[in-house]
Amino acid sequence: MNKEQFILALYDELKGIPIDDVEKTINYYREMIDERMEDGMSEEEAVAAMGSIQDIAEQILAETPLTTLVRDKVTGGKPLPTWEIVLLVLGAPLWIPLGAAAFSILLAVYIVIWSMVIALGAVTFALAVSGIACIIGCVPLMLRMGVAYMLFSLGGGLVCTGIAVLLFFVLRATVIGVAKLSRSIWLGIKSIFVRKEAA
Amino acid sequence: MDIQLKRGLLDVCVLAAIKNEDSYGYQIVKDIKPYVEISESTLYPILRRLEAAECLSVRSVEHNGRLRKYYHILPPGRERIDQFTTDWREIESIHEFITRGGERHE
Repeated sequence: MNKEQFILALYDELKGIPIDDVEKTINYYREMIDERMEDGMSEEEAVAAMGSIQDIAEQILAETPLTTLVRDKVTGGKPLPTWEIVLLVLGAPLWIPLGAAAFSILLAVYIVIWSMVIALGAVTFALAVSGIACIIGCVPLMLRMGVAYMLFSLGGGLVCTGIAVLLFFVLRATVIGVAKLSRSIWLGIKSIFVRKEAA
Repeated sequence: MDIQLKRGLLDVCVLAAIKNEDSYGYQIVKDIKPYVEISESTLYPILRRLEAAECLSVRSVEHNGRLRKYYHILPPGRERIDQFTTDWREIESIHEFITRGGERHE
């Protein structure tokens, strides 16, 4: 890939990000490629040394606050003209409930997901507690009711504790998974505002 | 090295690279490279962050028929370096405690 191809590809990848930032980024990488070429590298080598274009774009996207992305998408980076402000105010009875509804749905999904995690945690905890209680309880049971009851209680206790231990690992994996999911959903929401412009 | 730690160190390294005289991107990378792994792509977000925090300012200078950006350290940037050296003294005493294996100093 030569320098111009790199610049064009980067430009393409950065569409939707505020235009000032795009310019700055392109200028920066142009300078860096020129520096490496002055230092004796071939154009291809210098471009390759910059790393992957996707990584560069992702890093910039991750560091641009969502509010900037949204504002830039809505206004195209320019201050709002008066008639749009009037329209926004007049349209408030319509778009505020719609926005609130969208937000509530997202929040509900989020709460449901975490509730399931909490429920799983509660089951694990309950199994562990009752399992341990059964194991401890088998001693007085033997004294009062005999060996058969003791064995039943001990066995049940061991089964419960065993399942609890297994569930604990499931729970841990789920928590990590859900946390990662939330993060990628957030990045996804960000990229909606960026990609639409690019399309 | 731990990513968070490296990130914090790199910010200070970049400031140190322009502490005595203004420098440009590629030179900064070359100056830091012998000590910490850094590339142009890693440097870029750091410069943006430091500029936003008003730790440095940027000016363009013509060089070989193109523009080269020079970075100039500002007072908050110098404060960051000073803060780092103070923090480091504290870290050194913690390091000593750790390598002693947490034994009490007699």
